[in-house]
Amino acid sequence: MNIKKKDVPSEIFTGSMADISFLLIIYFMITSAFSATRGLDFALPEDTQTPEIKQEDSIDVHVLRGGAIEVDHKPMPLEGLLPYIAEKLRQNPDKPVILRTDPDATYGDMIAVFDELRQAPDKIDMEIKTISIPTRREIENLWSMLGIQ
Amino acid sequence: MALIRGREGKVPAQIFTASMADIVFLLLVFFILTYKVEVDRTKMNLPDTWVRIKVPEKAAVVSIAPPDSDPPLTIRVSTGEEMSLPVSTDEEVVTFASTEVARNPNKEFIIKADTSVPYERVDAVLDALKQSKVKYIFLLSDQKTVDE
Repeated sequence: MNIKKKDVPSEIFTGSMADISFLLIIYFMITSAFSATRGLDFALPEDTQTPEIKQEDSIDVHVLRGGAIEVDHKPMPLEGLLPYIAEKLRQNPDKPVILRTDPDATYGDMIAVFDELRQAPDKIDMEIKTISIPTRREIENLWSMLGIQ
Repeated sequence: MALIRGREGKVPAQIFTASMADIVFLLLVFFILTYKVEVDRTKMNLPDTWVRIKVPEKAAVVSIAPPDSDPPLTIRVSTGEEMSLPVSTDEEVVTFASTEVARNPNKEFIIKADTSVPYERVDAVLDALKQSKVKYIFLLSDQKTVDE
């Protein structure tokens, strides 16, 4: 018996490809996000190399509630911070800056000052070698060590 | 003067969709290349800064929700590879960070906090990270612009 062979055309159906692509696009659009991936960095000193920074040997920047700042216990506008630091760094380029923030101040207040300090190479053409951000516990420990209430 | 008008040919109204598939493919390639899952989706208004360093991929994240969120000032943590989970105490942040540092002593941490968060909360998180011997911290920010 002779069986006739049917010619099946070989082809790939691409009609649904556009639909699949649309679905994939929708998936990627929903699950991906243009997130903020940049910020201010700082390295914490390792225990073995923690330098003992005395308050009198450093520049003390205190961020108060509302965003005002005190530098070495004197009120100062934010614009005056870097020129003051430049003057101090000319006398001692290794002088560290201690950035303390009032617990009632906002994170934004602190970041504004930290950002200003990080702009030192551009604004005053000098680098602040050490910017220390002590926590409240560390400050209290230091005060108790020094016998300050 | 009368204008001699030629035969008005009827133009069929249609939208050409032949290039649509190409556009879709291009978009698809774009999304595949830029695809990045955000491990923490807490909506917040980040502080604006001029200096912005690129944060390393897969850095651990500690986020602090804004005071007006529900519940307020929630702290969430993520290893950088999984979606963030809420923690209820600062000790849990210490435990989380210590575990991550034990796995990788050079693990970077990102603090993602709303600009209106009281510094007291950020200080507590910083303290937890310092206790856990974290070496590198990034404070996530948005780009500051001239009009701000």
